[in-house]
Amino acid sequence: MLTKEQLLEPLARLRGNAAIVTTMGVARPWGKYSSSELDFASADSAMGHAADLALGIALAQPWRKVICLNGDGSMLMTLGTLATIIGSGAANLILFVVQNGTYEITGNQPVPAAGKLDFCQLALGAGFSRVYGFEAAAEFEKTLPELLSGDGPVFAAVLIEPGSEGPISRSEREESFYLKESLAEWAHRMRRALAADDCRGSTR
Amino acid sequence: MIQARSVLQELKKQHISHIIGLPDNSSAGFFQLASRDEDVKSIFVTREGEAFAIAAGLWLGGKRPVILIQNTGLLESGDGLRGTALRMRVPLVCLITYRGYHKRGHDRVTPPFEARVLDRADLDSAALVTEPTLQAWGVPYYLLHDEGGLAVIPEAFSRAGRCSQPVAVLITDSLG
Repeated sequence: MLTKEQLLEPLARLRGNAAIVTTMGVARPWGKYSSSELDFASADSAMGHAADLALGIALAQPWRKVICLNGDGSMLMTLGTLATIIGSGAANLILFVVQNGTYEITGNQPVPAAGKLDFCQLALGAGFSRVYGFEAAAEFEKTLPELLSGDGPVFAAVLIEPGSEGPISRSEREESFYLKESLAEWAHRMRRALAADDCRGSTR
Repeated sequence: MIQARSVLQELKKQHISHIIGLPDNSSAGFFQLASRDEDVKSIFVTREGEAFAIAAGLWLGGKRPVILIQNTGLLESGDGLRGTALRMRVPLVCLITYRGYHKRGHDRVTPPFEARVLDRADLDSAALVTEPTLQAWGVPYYLLHDEGGLAVIPEAFSRAGRCSQPVAVLITDSLG
């Protein structure tokens, strides 16, 4: 089982110019490792739709990697998205399911079928051809460069320790850069950043 | 019947990039046509709520998507619409086929409804709550009844852009 730090720190180091979509229990911690305008917290927004939003970005900018750090509770809310991703043909989406087995934001109540459900099998069944499962930090860090390279879509389930993050407030009180503005303000800022980064052409 | 080809042409005049949705009986012909179009990409979802988040992501990435779903799917999409397109202030046009338009009983019942009204055989429960729901969510909408009314499509795009928010076009006849 990984800590959030063991998941997020290597990812922040190796992301390059990927767009990152976080949600729920990792939305606030991600801000400790990144202050990029290419980050989006799908939190305090639409429940369970982080992977859908990430898919949209991936389809809009197919030359850019888009990494979604989804929760297991969030993934269960929209399992059909696995089929939508495959049907869309997006090859640049990397979908992590950060699997702590609980609804962390509301106090760690167990998600349905916690400990029994195999997310990797679900992804394989939906048609993902590159599927990874991680239970240890060393294995994760060793495999991450390979995981982030090549064509996808890629699915990775990562077992992490339950945490104690509370709800996101989106205000100046939040330490994370991308949580200080309203959802609309940040969305418009990120859109400009994605366009500017696109114009630089560094990722094609 | 409204010609699917006419609607697609109007959408292409607005330089749309993607059509996201889930076919119903009224829109199946439109999706068949659109999915063969080389200028517009079609994305099929498993549930309509996905469509709003995908559209928001496409817009973040600089694209110009539209959504095409049935009004029943709109009702399913509540949190997806609220939490993405509305709160992110995405200028998004949503085409919504209006199941039961002629059974909405507007001349016999007016909101707020009693719950038992939704079970009346002479009314369509989805149609009854479609417009009140859009009003409650703060989504402006236009009604498209026939080919003569296609001008509401550019109007919807103009309003969505001007106000930076979702705008709906309710289609009351089949797209064939």
